[in-house]
Amino acid sequence: MRIDDLEKLKSENLETLPSAERRNFLRLGLAVTGVYLGGTVLSLTSVRTAEAADLVPEPGKYPYSPHYTMVIREKLCIDCERCKDACVKTNGVPVYGFRTTILERRRAIANGGHETIFMPVLCNHCNRPPCVRVCPTTATWKDEKTGIVVMNPARCIGCKTCMTACPYNARYFKEETRAVDKCDFCWESRLSKGEKTTACSEACPADVRVFGDLSDPKSRVYELLHAPETVIWVLRPETGALPNIYYVNV
Amino acid sequence: MSDVDSREKKNMKKSMFAVVLGVLLLSGAWLMAAEEKKAAEPYDEDTYGPEAPIIWDKPVKSVVFDHKIHTQANELSCDSCHDDLFTMEAGAAQEKDDFTMETLYNGGYCGACHDGSTAFASNKRCTACHIGVRGKARLEGGTAAAAGGHAKE
Repeated sequence: MRIDDLEKLKSENLETLPSAERRNFLRLGLAVTGVYLGGTVLSLTSVRTAEAADLVPEPGKYPYSPHYTMVIREKLCIDCERCKDACVKTNGVPVYGFRTTILERRRAIANGGHETIFMPVLCNHCNRPPCVRVCPTTATWKDEKTGIVVMNPARCIGCKTCMTACPYNARYFKEETRAVDKCDFCWESRLSKGEKTTACSEACPADVRVFGDLSDPKSRVYELLHAPETVIWVLRPETGALPNIYYVNV
Repeated sequence: MSDVDSREKKNMKKSMFAVVLGVLLLSGAWLMAAEEKKAAEPYDEDTYGPEAPIIWDKPVKSVVFDHKIHTQANELSCDSCHDDLFTMEAGAAQEKDDFTMETLYNGGYCGACHDGSTAFASNKRCTACHIGVRGKARLEGGTAAAAGGHAKE
């Protein structure tokens, strides 16, 4: 379901305002604001809409600082899976789940041959994350500062609604913690301890996964995404979730 | 008189057409037969090298080499690569420290031909040889790659 449609639905959150409060709310004249901002105000979640007319925000108009992003140079991926191994080791991912994985597709090429394309996938840390919108216990949210979609396992009741809502299949239920687990750009394991990059990015021998701060004009992700004559794509743009994982072939 | 002329011309045209058609059909059939013969030619390991593809796992998983494509299909002889570029022991190259892409770019190992003029360059079409963990699992009949989870070692 598109996030646009989802946001129009009535929230079933327990924090929904009682009618007396709602009347006060209306009397205060905030109804106009409500109509303008629609579900964003009523949803009671920390969804922030990126100021982006296109897939990549305009320079200087990034909603977060640092605005963490990963640029995937897709054609260089050779499925050696060092990224997966590093992620498993760094973040204690069990064998039945994944925080990041490699997808594969085949494409016909000239002279009757086929070529293989490997596609690394992970949480897209969307600017309008459907998973955050549907969580009934606010166990997952978008970090105010970095824009990372984080989890609080203690607050998760294991309803798995977020897993259904995620357009990218980036979440799995971790039996060990009885909570949903997902990629947090190695925030817990690395970034919060002063490391500058994710485990997968560091492990990649082909320089496929470029991680960095899009709001820093000197960063590689900024240079890659704002280079002239570059084709940039994201996965499933039609969901309107405004993902932060970009794909290029340079 | 002109009537007879035109009839003769028509006949000539017809016979010419028949001849051309015949030649085309015959040559087509001959080419087809040649193709079939080539495709149906049995794979001889003594002539073309081991039939099973060689898979290297170092320095990265997993890279494939198929003798069939190089010797039978592209008509390279054994001494094109042996023993100057590769010893005749399957998979032995990966034990050497210089078995890297950098060496290939400088004309070593596969890079002797995969230089962009003899065959596609070593820094192009990565996945033609780098079949990855999934590709290897498929070749070996494993199912780990299809499951999406991590393969147990």
